[in-house]
Amino acid sequence: MTTFLIFFAIFLFFMVIFYVSKALDLARITREGQHNDYVGSTKVNAFLMMLFYIVGMIVLVMTTYHLAPRLLPESASQHGVAIDEMFDYTVYLTTFIFVLTQTILFLFVYFYRYDKNRTAFYFPHNNKLEMIWTIVPAIALVVLVFMGINVWKDIFDFSKLEGKDVLHIEVTGKQFAWIVRYPGNDNKLGEREISFENINDFREKYGIPNELGIKWEETASQDDFYPNDIYLVKDKPVLVKLGALDVIHSFYLPHFRVKMDCVPGLPTQFMFTPTYTTAEYKERLKGRKFWKDIDPNTGEERWKNFKFELACAELCGRSHWGMQKNVVVVTQEEYDEWAAKQKPMYEMVMKDKLSKK
Amino acid sequence: MSTDIAHTHDDHGHHEETWLTKYIFSQDHKMISKQFLITAIFWAFVGGLLSLFFRTQLAWPNETFPLLETLLGKWAEGGQITSEFYYSLVTMHGTILVFFVLTGGLSGTFSNLLIPFQIGARDMASPFMNMLSYWFFFASGMVLFSSFFIQTGAASGGWTAYPPLNGIRDVSINLGSGLGFDLWILSMALFVVSSLLGGLNYVATIINLRTKGMTMMRLPLVMWALLFTAVLGILSFPALLSAVVLLEFDRLLDTSFFLNNIVIGGDLLAYKGGSPVLFQHLFWFLGHPEVYIIIFPAMGMVSEILSVNAKKPVFGYKAMIMSIGSIMVIGFFVWAHHMFVTGMNPNLGIVFIIFTMLIAIPSSIKVFNWLTTLWRGNIKLTPPMMFAIGFISFFIFGGITGLFLGNAPVDLPLHDTYFVVAHFHVVMGVSAFFGMWAGVYHWFPKMFGRFMNDTMAYIHFWGSLIGGYLVFIPMHFLTGVPRRYYSFEQFQTFDIFQDVNIIITLGAFFVFITQFVFVINFFYSMFRGRKMTNDNLNPWGANTLEWTTGVEPIHGNWPGDIPEVYRWPYDYSKNGQEFIPQTTPLAEGEKDGGEH
Repeated sequence: MTTFLIFFAIFLFFMVIFYVSKALDLARITREGQHNDYVGSTKVNAFLMMLFYIVGMIVLVMTTYHLAPRLLPESASQHGVAIDEMFDYTVYLTTFIFVLTQTILFLFVYFYRYDKNRTAFYFPHNNKLEMIWTIVPAIALVVLVFMGINVWKDIFDFSKLEGKDVLHIEVTGKQFAWIVRYPGNDNKLGEREISFENINDFREKYGIPNELGIKWEETASQDDFYPNDIYLVKDKPVLVKLGALDVIHSFYLPHFRVKMDCVPGLPTQFMFTPTYTTAEYKERLKGRKFWKDIDPNTGEERWKNFKFELACAELCGRSHWGMQKNVVVVTQEEYDEWAAKQKPMYEMVMKDKLSKK
Repeated sequence: MSTDIAHTHDDHGHHEETWLTKYIFSQDHKMISKQFLITAIFWAFVGGLLSLFFRTQLAWPNETFPLLETLLGKWAEGGQITSEFYYSLVTMHGTILVFFVLTGGLSGTFSNLLIPFQIGARDMASPFMNMLSYWFFFASGMVLFSSFFIQTGAASGGWTAYPPLNGIRDVSINLGSGLGFDLWILSMALFVVSSLLGGLNYVATIINLRTKGMTMMRLPLVMWALLFTAVLGILSFPALLSAVVLLEFDRLLDTSFFLNNIVIGGDLLAYKGGSPVLFQHLFWFLGHPEVYIIIFPAMGMVSEILSVNAKKPVFGYKAMIMSIGSIMVIGFFVWAHHMFVTGMNPNLGIVFIIFTMLIAIPSSIKVFNWLTTLWRGNIKLTPPMMFAIGFISFFIFGGITGLFLGNAPVDLPLHDTYFVVAHFHVVMGVSAFFGMWAGVYHWFPKMFGRFMNDTMAYIHFWGSLIGGYLVFIPMHFLTGVPRRYYSFEQFQTFDIFQDVNIIITLGAFFVFITQFVFVINFFYSMFRGRKMTNDNLNPWGANTLEWTTGVEPIHGNWPGDIPEVYRWPYDYSKNGQEFIPQTTPLAEGEKDGGEH
């Protein structure tokens, strides 16, 4: 019934608009004749344009004021700081262009509205002006491009890892979960071989899937563990080897400004260095606008339950929206403690299964 | 054009036309343009309606609406749409809006309507091909539409159709990857044929059939825009065709063009050596020029409408041609900016940063030239002019967010988030729509010999302008929130925008409802609108040739000889005259404006 009433109200509304519009048109024709020179409507609409511009700008500022605190907080990784800087510069530049051009547009529309006694200025071209607005944007863009290329190259400069203590992990996407593999004590991930023998025949033979195609007979594979959460160490670079089993997924860590697709049959990788532990990051958010509000889901202030998360950023099927994992950044000591508690998959499952044959 | 050809066309006009050849299988460019427009309006309604369904899910993810179950049956059991249907909705919304509304509705409608009119030709170079172009378009739409009614539902792997999600014909991987996606591919293939038949025709017509005196530098800017649009389409659509055909081979014949080492359900499948990224390259080789195919006609029409209503020549005619031309050329070398984080070599990304950012230069030239066209004009705020101004406002808004996404390091966190959704909806959705509406309001009298109601047009404008900003300003603040999420509940990070999502959804409803004002106005005015009369053949005071034809131009456009052209189309407010049509000979010693 309510639905019906809503539709009926909308219908009535359109009837009103329709008949009022028709009546106004008729009234104008009786007043001015068939030919419409739009003098009256220009006046009204020029005024409305100006009103829209002023109200619009105020609303825009208010929206920014209310929503900006909810944007992702500062980067929790080293390379992300440069990305955020680039983002900020782009915001300053584009805000300037936006305000400048919109102001010009609406002011011109308002001030040069139709007047019977005025003739427009015949001004077909002016090389000097056109040069100015070719060259000025070009300079601004050259600056942006140069900075952008430098930041970009730096993000993927894997030579930076040489001689450093690096955490190697592997994350593989599948419908609809992430398989996270840690190297264990040897800090070396066991090798994989994608072949029918190692995957399909393995499953037949041992009754357990080997989706990743791990070579279980290698000692490097035998101490690898597969935790539920991703643990990272503050200030220690991490090199994530990425892959996918079935369809494309995308490894997205919003707070670390990390995103890289996981493509079946095409290995990718990403390196980054976390700069805050989860606890430190919480501390930073404490007392900030929005973060000090009570979260209706938990009844506590938001910053208290803050966590880093891993999400999938490439459409991968019906449950694409559910591929969540927690990410925890800790100190080296805490990490060692945690890692010591993790049991290798080989010990837990595979040893037993493999020995049966 | 020689008089011989004119004669044969005149004779053609005397042929008996049946209802079928006049309204259905018409070869008259004017009728074909109306067919394109009305088909596009139908598709815009469908595409918009789909967006309301998925916006409802995003705004109220936990609530149930019995009405949804009534309407959608098993796809919304219990009154909430299923996640599989959600992905079908977004996929179909994208496909429909990009191809059927903004390509077919803009380029299809206005190339057909305006090219013969504005260059002074009796019809297209090949009217028959032109008719085929429409019917392929129609068939393509019907094929896609039918996929809504099959057991496994319409395609649901995104309008970008990335394999392997869409590359394996197995509904357990993705429900829409069954018959629904086969139909999607067939539909795209038909659409490419339609677009090529149309495009070749448009280019041939503009190059060959210009009337006496209509040099290239006397073409209205909308002709240049449509010419470049057609060239873009001819060069880029074949890449889409090859991509989807190879994809269908992978699906039906188990080839491995785009598939490699796929493990499903614990088993390795027998695909070897293909590359999913290759598909993305092929897809975006069309996909990116496609956004220019969409926006060029709008840009051209807006240039024209601004000039007519500000009673000023378009500022920098040549610069406008060069900038649109350079956008076209550079536009072919930017496709991989959609792929910065897809596993493509990061060094390759650098090339695409440079080319992508380069496009901002001609784009900003165009914006500043439009603004200067308004400067010291005498602006009549007619309905088409209002939409043209709205176009500029949205184009600026959507254009500048491109500076974020074109720069790879800034794109990295933004890629596949709502910031991207907001960016492309504003720049090629809303602003292209505003261009299209401007064109419809401006040329409606030429199409139907009647006027649309102005009050309703203004209501339509204000509703769309306010609604457009209401939807897309808040959406820009969902900066890190991934797109194509059925619900954000699983993530603490993203589940903080419920109120914003509700505002966006209400805005979407508002815009959608406002469009009914347009639809009512359009169809009512078509049959009952104020008539155009013989003493009011040029209602906007425009210089171009289409306004020299009769109230409802005959098949062949001009009853007698085709008028000759003596000057460029932008002599507004020159020598104290409000407008000087192109058919007016140059006064003694007067220089033609186009040849500076």
